[in-house]
Amino acid sequence: MKNTFRTTIAAFLLLLVSVPGEGAFKLPTPEKIVLPNGLTVYCLKSSEVPIVSFRMFIRGAGSAYEPGALEGAANLTADLLLKGTTKMNADVVAEALDFMGADLGISAAEEYAQVSAESLSEHFPKLMEIAADCLIEPAFKEDEFAKERAKRIDNIKAVKDEPGSAVSYYFQKAYFGAHPMGHLALGTESALAKMTIQDIRGFYKARFRPDRAVAAVVGDIDRAKLAGLLKATLGRWKAASGNAPALDIPALPRPKGPKLVLVDKPDATQAYFVMGAPGYPMGDKVTPEAEVMNTLFGVRFTSWLNTELRIKRGLTYGVSSSFQEWAAGGLFSATSYTQNSKIGEMLDITYDLLKKGTGRGFSAEEVESTRNYIQGQFPPTLETNADKAAAYVRLAFYKLGFDYYGKYLAGIGAVSAAGAGKAAASFLPANDYVLVVVGKAADIKPLLAKFGTWEEKKITDPDF
Amino acid sequence: MRRKTLVFVLSVIILTTFLGASFRKEDVQVHKLDNGLKVLLVEDHGIPNVALFTFFRVGSRNERPGLTGSSHFIEHLMFNGTAKFGPGEFDRRMEFRGGSNNAYTGDDMTAYTDWFPAAALEAMIEMEADRMQGLTFVPEVFESERGVIASERRMGIENDNDAILVENVRATAIMAHPYHWDVIGWMSDILSWRRDEVMAYYRTYYSPNNSVLILVGDFESVKALDLIKKYYSGIPAGAPPPPVTTVEPPQMGVKRVIIRKEAQTPSFIMVFHGPNCQDPDFYPLSILAKPFLRGESSRLHRRLVREEQLAISVYGGIRKTIDPQLFMIYVKPRPGADLDRLEAVIDEELDKLRKDGITEQEYRKALNIIRSDFYSGLQTISGKANQMGASEVLYGSFEKLFSQMDGYAAVQRDQVRLAAGKYFTENNKTVGKLIPEGGAK
Repeated sequence: MKNTFRTTIAAFLLLLVSVPGEGAFKLPTPEKIVLPNGLTVYCLKSSEVPIVSFRMFIRGAGSAYEPGALEGAANLTADLLLKGTTKMNADVVAEALDFMGADLGISAAEEYAQVSAESLSEHFPKLMEIAADCLIEPAFKEDEFAKERAKRIDNIKAVKDEPGSAVSYYFQKAYFGAHPMGHLALGTESALAKMTIQDIRGFYKARFRPDRAVAAVVGDIDRAKLAGLLKATLGRWKAASGNAPALDIPALPRPKGPKLVLVDKPDATQAYFVMGAPGYPMGDKVTPEAEVMNTLFGVRFTSWLNTELRIKRGLTYGVSSSFQEWAAGGLFSATSYTQNSKIGEMLDITYDLLKKGTGRGFSAEEVESTRNYIQGQFPPTLETNADKAAAYVRLAFYKLGFDYYGKYLAGIGAVSAAGAGKAAASFLPANDYVLVVVGKAADIKPLLAKFGTWEEKKITDPDF
Repeated sequence: MRRKTLVFVLSVIILTTFLGASFRKEDVQVHKLDNGLKVLLVEDHGIPNVALFTFFRVGSRNERPGLTGSSHFIEHLMFNGTAKFGPGEFDRRMEFRGGSNNAYTGDDMTAYTDWFPAAALEAMIEMEADRMQGLTFVPEVFESERGVIASERRMGIENDNDAILVENVRATAIMAHPYHWDVIGWMSDILSWRRDEVMAYYRTYYSPNNSVLILVGDFESVKALDLIKKYYSGIPAGAPPPPVTTVEPPQMGVKRVIIRKEAQTPSFIMVFHGPNCQDPDFYPLSILAKPFLRGESSRLHRRLVREEQLAISVYGGIRKTIDPQLFMIYVKPRPGADLDRLEAVIDEELDKLRKDGITEQEYRKALNIIRSDFYSGLQTISGKANQMGASEVLYGSFEKLFSQMDGYAAVQRDQVRLAAGKYFTENNKTVGKLIPEGGAK
């Protein structure tokens, strides 16, 4: 493929932008259904294809809310929800889902657990029945726990065989340390090894509550039929008793000075880096300026990073920068890779571009082109039923309002070169950042020495 | 950030009987210019954007030793300058108008995929038409892009143990046919492609009569066709490219690949020579793949992941290609797993397929999965354009997209058993194992 990869974060950035002028595309306002147990569901009928999509976020059930020693518990809980209910064992659940060609996934992000489900319209009632059973009446059997835990531990080893995947986890650890946002979605080998089924039951009981959930359904289904279906399925989820656990997340760490980490992978023929610094929280008013800046700096094909590292010098196939936004704060990061012997040159150029961005900023023409690009690329991000359902849930979860894109339109259209330059000065790291490199230390250590003092790790050491 | 590159895994799985009113053959306007360019237009006003896809009938099957990977290299060079629009201009002009693009190269086809706001239509058609024959192959850009591809190969294959094993097994199972090599090409070829040879390759395959242009989205067909005629009519037809004549000889015994390298987890793959996409056997094998390999309820997942706990994951099946393709069974074994036992379990399960085929429940499951995949692929304007283009290249007709269900629906359950017996034989098998050395236990 020709293009650099786009992270999910980059995709979401695009999703936050809207389109001005002729042919403007608007996210339709959904209807709202509130179930007696406190669960809110937004719905939209769309009959373009005979598919229905469901999405739900459960606040406080993400990895940032795991007790410190239970890193990986949120995703292990999510795994186990699909591994048997009081009525059906894991094989029965899998067979029922596969038979319909339906998808049901449960996973944990940092701030929430997420349920996504999709099927042909005719199978949707059955799919929702199964999804509700999994969510409300999980069996949490000891043998299933043992299997899933072993699979997760094995998976960490598989991740470490792929330097491009491993580097992002090493970075997350190096940047956030013991902060809850440093809990890896994968878990760690040492935390998983100590985890028990009781830990999982405890996390589920405390964190999976209908009053903390928001959901959306988009697709080929009538509202009346849907209301009945929701009542009969997710309506069975009992309102939580007792006080809900706290949702506080401490302020995100801010690097002081450069923190450099080198991970030795002796068989790597390329060196992979991730560099990061503080960003901004979800919905912050700086968003339009920051997005224009980031798109210009490291998202689109003609971005500064891609132009210098790939187009002009052929150093890499992929390079990108991105913002990640949470309620608790945000992160800016840039990432790429090149053959071991070129990593010094690659980092030199990256530093130069960061300096140029914070110093000189951007031209009016570049910024105009970037505004057009973001606007033009927005409609396809909300094209499918699943896209729309995810947008509703996200907007509701972060309390941005369903008119968010409309308001955002004014913001994006008004970003000036000065505004983008200001965002660059705020977010492109100069002195305070974390930089992680995974590669063959024997070859790259001499090339990295000039950047400072590196903390060294081995890819074969347990954890990250 | 995990991703595989290059090889376009066609999920053109097609079930007409179930096609709803949303997208019908009648919605497609078909035109052919005098120079042989086939044009498919589908108006779809759901979003104010257009998907403009151009498919060329060229991929790694058209290459030869020394030029392996050149189809994919040209895909990259297509963004790197013509006489009219110099290096980088395509992307700059497109992005200024709100457009974005990508491209992919497979065994049989190269596709250029543009997405843009409706107002950019003329500019995009102009630039697409221009680069069909206008590339200048600026020497410095040629060299720089060579480095990009080398990096892509390091990322996609050399630093991915599963991909290393797949490349080795493919090259072992397929002896003579150009599917022998991966779309990215061998590293030594990447490092020594000659500009004149790559240019000659481009001239051979990039012609209006060797391509299909597809527009889906927010435009008026009459105006769009006028624009297409305006920019494409002047491009001369090319000589028909030479046919691919190499036929893979029958395999005469089991083949084995053992790789020992630094790793924390082993890799495993088993492949069998299978049919091409137009062969009647393609349908039963494709149906069989679903209950055998797809999802946690599949036979192999249950045996290998759940019951014997030898593996982390299982997937596979057969891709649609012009020439006969491999049926692949990929397994990600657990660290320390007994790979011989793993192979024995798969052999046992293949035996059951040969003897008893699949159950009625499994047959119905396969059809449900195929139907669900099909609609998922048609949810977007890009999805529609992609499916039609692939159908044109593979079957010579987009109409096949709307009639292929007949192929699936016509399969009798017993044909699945017969197909298993025909293809899953010991003599037709190649097994690959990557055994970790060094690294952590």
